[in-house]
Amino acid sequence: MDRKPLMILRQVTVRQDHISGGAFVIAGIIVFLLSGDLPLGSMAMPGAGMMPKLVLVLMIGFGLALVAQAHKSPPLAALEWDDLPHASCVIMAAAATTALYNLLGFRITMALMLCGLIVVVERQNILRAVLFGLGIPLFTDILFGYLLKSPLPRGTFGF
Amino acid sequence: MLGFSVALQPDVLWYAFLGCLVGTLVGMLPGIGPLAGISILLPATFGLDATKAIVMLAGIYYGSQYGGSTTSILMRIPGEASSVMTCIDGHAMALKGRAGAALCIAAVGSFIAGTVGVVILTLIAPPLATFALRFGPPEYTALLMLGLIFLAYMSPTSLVRTLLMAATGLLLGMIGIDGMTGHFRYSFDIPELGDGIGIVPVAVGLFGLGEILSTPSRSVTDRVVAPRFAELLPTREEWRQSVMPIARGSVLGFLIGILPGSAHIISSFLSYALEKRISKNPQEFGQGAVAGVAGPESANNAASTGAFVPMLALGLPTGPVIAVLMAALLIHGVPPGPTLVNDHPEVFWGFVASMYVGNLMLLALNLPLVGIFVSVLRIPYAYLYPLIIMFCILGVYEVNHSTVDVWIMLIMGVVGYALRKFGFDPAPLVLGLVIAPIFEMSLRQSLVMSNGSWTIFFQRPIAASLLTVCAVVIGLAVLSLVRSQMDWRNSIAKDL
Repeated sequence: MDRKPLMILRQVTVRQDHISGGAFVIAGIIVFLLSGDLPLGSMAMPGAGMMPKLVLVLMIGFGLALVAQAHKSPPLAALEWDDLPHASCVIMAAAATTALYNLLGFRITMALMLCGLIVVVERQNILRAVLFGLGIPLFTDILFGYLLKSPLPRGTFGF
Repeated sequence: MLGFSVALQPDVLWYAFLGCLVGTLVGMLPGIGPLAGISILLPATFGLDATKAIVMLAGIYYGSQYGGSTTSILMRIPGEASSVMTCIDGHAMALKGRAGAALCIAAVGSFIAGTVGVVILTLIAPPLATFALRFGPPEYTALLMLGLIFLAYMSPTSLVRTLLMAATGLLLGMIGIDGMTGHFRYSFDIPELGDGIGIVPVAVGLFGLGEILSTPSRSVTDRVVAPRFAELLPTREEWRQSVMPIARGSVLGFLIGILPGSAHIISSFLSYALEKRISKNPQEFGQGAVAGVAGPESANNAASTGAFVPMLALGLPTGPVIAVLMAALLIHGVPPGPTLVNDHPEVFWGFVASMYVGNLMLLALNLPLVGIFVSVLRIPYAYLYPLIIMFCILGVYEVNHSTVDVWIMLIMGVVGYALRKFGFDPAPLVLGLVIAPIFEMSLRQSLVMSNGSWTIFFQRPIAASLLTVCAVVIGLAVLSLVRSQMDWRNSIAKDL
């Protein structure tokens, strides 16, 4: 019995381009479906939907091309995710800052974010972090407000 | 004369200095590049006139090319992608006690290359702008297609990946109200999306926040090789070895800078390869060869100047940084392109003259103040990146005073992180986003003009010529793809 096809089949592994190309194909299809109500128009008078749909077809095509040549890319298992916990903390801190920005104002929000990242995530010296976390937003507020004439938002507490 | 009369005004000089200073700092600090720096400071220019705004923002761009060499030489960490090659021989020179000489050669080479670039820009841009007045919608469509295809061909990542990123950028650029029919596209009833997605949130998210998310925290500490001021001057022999590399780097860099793509990065790599190839002592490269510093540093500065030619003369951005500078001009009501020289001569010539002045300022900043910059490098990364995030959020919010933009930045930050993980270069996405409105409008206008016939692109000589070049570039790319496929199949066949 010829074992070569079985050996080749066992060697097929999920590669990074399978995932990335597949993601673009799926995203392209979803957006294409969402574009249903945009009029195509005609060649003589292209409608609002013509260019987006053309670009989406190209995007899906390129995504399929990426999947087709995925054999050249590294295996998915080779991706390292050591930085993911740190990245998650950073993005959550930034998201919380954005959510509170208008409510608390620039100074308080940024002080909380800086202190939170430096003390909680980076485990640095608390005193130094607090001085840094309070001083930098204050300095920046003065810089933008007085020198650059672009005052930063005050929160509901007025500072 | 008009240019210098504008550029030498005290307030314009001040903003040129500010831009150069910020650019040097941004170039030095790993994790934040000129794109994030320009995007963050863009809102601060809203209260300025167009000349001061573009002078300051451009100063950040070419200043960052100077600053990147400092970190490369003193710490072997490229502050900027275009300074990667300087790490090799620059740091080797520093370890031999010649850090000051390396910094001086990098700074002087950058100055000469930047000045040469500005002179050529002064000569080329106005006649090119006159020629571009003959461009109509078909020519612009063909030119922008050529730009995208050239970008894909020159990109270090694969052709398919680059085109995929460019297509994604084009799609993002179509969000909002359609200019011709008034239809809302992909706005999902969010009023802020009616105006489309701004370039600043996308650029800062992809390049500022995305870079931070991809970089695990580390401290920047005692690997800094700090030079003394007395050791700054190179020897006569070192000057002699740097003359021709600076000359070659200047010309090579400028020519590459005109082309779409990451020209300042490509030019430094090509310059290093060229110098090593033609050197009588190639074995010295990697051990502290002066040409290994002089050539790449000159090339990246000349390229950053050359990149302004298509933007100023044609209104064509050749990279993400130039695209943001274009957006800055548009925000200030000064559309770059063929009409810029005639309609806003004070902006054009003032900007060009300020580049002469800016290069002088950077020479003064980078040498005597190197000790101060070295101390900035000692800030622990654990303190640095929260500061960068603060400025990212601040800068993006200040564009429209909208938290929707900040949320877009956060989403793009996560997207940038994922793209980097899977080996995609985000730069073509930003380029696609910027040119999407122009490209779509030109294409649709062309079809309206021709009553739906695509032959209009081949009936007009300039458009036809540009499309022919597109076809040649695509042919070369396909050929290269087919060859690599055949090589892969041959290797599989050998294994079996």
